[in-house]
Amino acid sequence: MDVERIKFERTGGFAGMRIATDIEKGDLSEEQSQALLDILDALDFPGLPEHLMGDSSMPDEFTYTITVEADDWKHTVVTGDSSAPEKMQELLQMLNRIARRRARKD
Amino acid sequence: MHKHSPIHCIIPPDMLKNIATKGTAGQKNMAMSTLKVSAQMRGQRQALEDFKAATFRVAAIGGKERIIYDAKNGSNLPGTVVRKEGDAPSADVAVNEAYDGSGVTYDLYNDVYKRNSIDANGMRLDSTVHYRTGYDNAFWDGEQMVYGDGDEDLPVSERLFNRFTIALDVIGHELTHGVTQFEAKLQYFQQPGALNESMSDVFGSLVKQYHLQQTAAAADWIIGAGLLTANVNGVGIRSMKAPGTAYDDPVLGKDPQPAHMKDYVTTISDNGGVHINSGIPNHAFYVTALELGGFAWEKAGQIWYVTLKDRLTASSKFQDCANLTYQVAGELFGAGGLEQQAVKKGWDAVGLQVGGTEPPPPSDGGCLGALLRLLGAAPAK
Repeated sequence: MDVERIKFERTGGFAGMRIATDIEKGDLSEEQSQALLDILDALDFPGLPEHLMGDSSMPDEFTYTITVEADDWKHTVVTGDSSAPEKMQELLQMLNRIARRRARKD
Repeated sequence: MHKHSPIHCIIPPDMLKNIATKGTAGQKNMAMSTLKVSAQMRGQRQALEDFKAATFRVAAIGGKERIIYDAKNGSNLPGTVVRKEGDAPSADVAVNEAYDGSGVTYDLYNDVYKRNSIDANGMRLDSTVHYRTGYDNAFWDGEQMVYGDGDEDLPVSERLFNRFTIALDVIGHELTHGVTQFEAKLQYFQQPGALNESMSDVFGSLVKQYHLQQTAAAADWIIGAGLLTANVNGVGIRSMKAPGTAYDDPVLGKDPQPAHMKDYVTTISDNGGVHINSGIPNHAFYVTALELGGFAWEKAGQIWYVTLKDRLTASSKFQDCANLTYQVAGELFGAGGLEQQAVKKGWDAVGLQVGGTEPPPPSDGGCLGALLRLLGAAPAK
C-alpha cells in the first residue's frame, strides 16, 4: 500500500476537546511508517465501511475520522471507541498517540 | 439416561448471554446456570470471563454491588476482575477510586433519591480501569463505565491529563449517563444531548458534594477538578458556576462553554456540541441551588431528579427542561413557593423564561438540522 497522507481527527470525549493532525509521507521514522502501513494493510483499509458507528455515539466516547490518501484512491472511515472493531484498535492507538504528541508540541 | 435441560444443547452462547441479561428472573437463572456449566465443561478461563461479562446486569440481591475490572491497557471489555463488592482495597489506586466512587454514587441515588442503582432495580455497577494506553478519557458504553489513565504514556513534561478515576464527579457523571439511559433516554445529539451531558454534570457534582457534605455555597462546582496536570493552566474541565472559565491554556485552548442562550454554539462537532452547550443548563442548576441554599442535593437535586426520571423525553430541549423543572418544583414544594421562584431565577439567568413555548434562539434545527440528517450526522426524525 503506497500511502501519501493520513488525516486523523478525534472529537467528543468527556472533555469535548478536538484534536486533529495530518501525517504526510516522510513525517514518521521508517520504522513507525512501516508499522502504520502494515496495520492499514492488515485492515484492508480501503475495503472498510465508511461508517463504523452504532446507531449513535455512546456518552463521552471519542469519535474518530480517519482519511487515508494514496495516489489513486482516498478512503474515510468514521468510528467510535465502543463500535471500532477489535482489529482497528491498534490503528486508533497509534494515530491517537501521534496526534496527542503533536498537539502538545505545536 | 442422562437428563439435561434442552437450553444447554440448543441455545448459542450469545443468545444465552442476552437471556442472562434481559430475560425474566427465571430465564436469567437458567441462562446463567447454563453458561456456568458450559464454562466448567470447557474448563477455560475465557469462558468464565464470558459468563461474568454476560451477567453483569443481573439484579444484585442486596443492593449495592460493584465489580472493578482491569483492561490491562487493552481494549477488551470488561477485562479481568480485580475487586468485587466487599473485597479489601487493592494496591492499585485506580481500582480503589473506581470502587469507592461508584459506591458514593450508589449511595447518593439510594439514600437521597431512593433509587436502587442505575436501573432502579439493583443493577451491578461495573467499571473497567486501565483502558488502552494514553487514553485521556472516560465513557459509558451503554453497559458499564470505562476509565483511561490519561497521558501516562507521554513524558511527564507533556502530560495534560491524570487518570480519569481521580475525580469523583467524573465517576458520578458516567454513572448518571446510565440513569439517563434508563429514564429520559435523551438522544445524544444537539440540545437533548447537551441536556444528557448536563444531567451527568449535575449529579456528578452532587455526588462529590454529598461525599464532602458541602453546602451549595461551599462547593467548587468544578467538573473534573484534579484531572488536569500542573502543566495546564486550568482548574478542571467545566465550571457550573462560571461556564467558560475552567481552563485557558496554550495547548488545550480556552474552555468553550457558554453560560447563556445568547452564546449558544451551533456546531456539527462533538455530536452537535453536547459538551459545549451543557454549560447553559449546568449554570441554571447552579443558580437554582445557590438561591435555595443548604445542600444542593436536597431540593434542587430532587427537582432535577424527578424531572429526569418522570418528565424529560428523548427529544427534550432546554426550554422543555426549564418548563418541566418549574412544574416539578411546584408539585414537590408548592406552587409559587421559594423553590419554584428559585428554579425560575435559575433559567432566567441563562436566558430562558419558564412557561415559554417558543424554541429558544438560535434554533439548532432548521436548515442545519436538515443538512445534518441528510449527511447522516443526525438521527432521522
